[in-house]
Amino acid sequence: MQGQRISFARATTTLVRDPVAVILVLAGIFDCLSGNPIHSLLLLTVGFALGRDAIVGRSSEAAPPAPAAPSLRFGPAGIALASAYVVVVGGFGRYSWPATVAVLCPAAGVLLIAWRGDLNQPAASRKLDPIGAIAWASVFVALAIWELTELLLQPSLRTDSYAHPTISVLTDPVLATHLGRSIVLSLWLALGWFLVQR
Amino acid sequence: MTSRQVALGVYTLIVLAGVLLQLNSQRSSSRIPSLGTVFSRVMRTRSGRIGVVAGWAWLGLHFFAR
Repeated sequence: MQGQRISFARATTTLVRDPVAVILVLAGIFDCLSGNPIHSLLLLTVGFALGRDAIVGRSSEAAPPAPAAPSLRFGPAGIALASAYVVVVGGFGRYSWPATVAVLCPAAGVLLIAWRGDLNQPAASRKLDPIGAIAWASVFVALAIWELTELLLQPSLRTDSYAHPTISVLTDPVLATHLGRSIVLSLWLALGWFLVQR
Repeated sequence: MTSRQVALGVYTLIVLAGVLLQLNSQRSSSRIPSLGTVFSRVMRTRSGRIGVVAGWAWLGLHFFAR
């Protein structure tokens, strides 16, 4: 019983100090309540896996070192594949099953790459200047607060508003066309590639 | 000024602030890191890395998937 209490306390401390897993699980719960079971499933799966990884990893003294980052190159074949992907998938209707599967596949792939990636890159170990960190955090927090404000000013959470548009509402006209969807998919893939390189 | 114009104005200001920070980061004497450096720093831990990538994955699902 005493051992269980210590484990529970250690797990709680771990999750409080590094709350990413908790944030993902909470986001997954709210996404589920909003009627998005697939989005929710992704967030909950990653959140619970990350939480388990953090707790078990911290308590295990024989934890293996992080593996080296996989070598990733994006040659002509990759560019051709990505181009074909955005053209074909851009032709799928939004919120259709083909689009869902087509987006889930690269999302899961990049998540797996991120999971296996090197966690001790020398370039990333340098601390940020506090002024710079606060400046960037302010931009992202301001964006999140304004998006939330516009969302709450809608007639309801599921009813779009012309007067109070969220980013999703603003992108709807762009995503209504094949070309627009292909461009946004290109940007999304590029962002994923950018993140994998970090 | 309508509510929509205010909303669009605020979004534009936030984006402009991000662009200005990124431009400022290119100066040699700048204390502002580039966005890439910020992401590298945030993603130096497993949870940070997975959290950011999960956010990216969710973004794709949000705009395209059921």
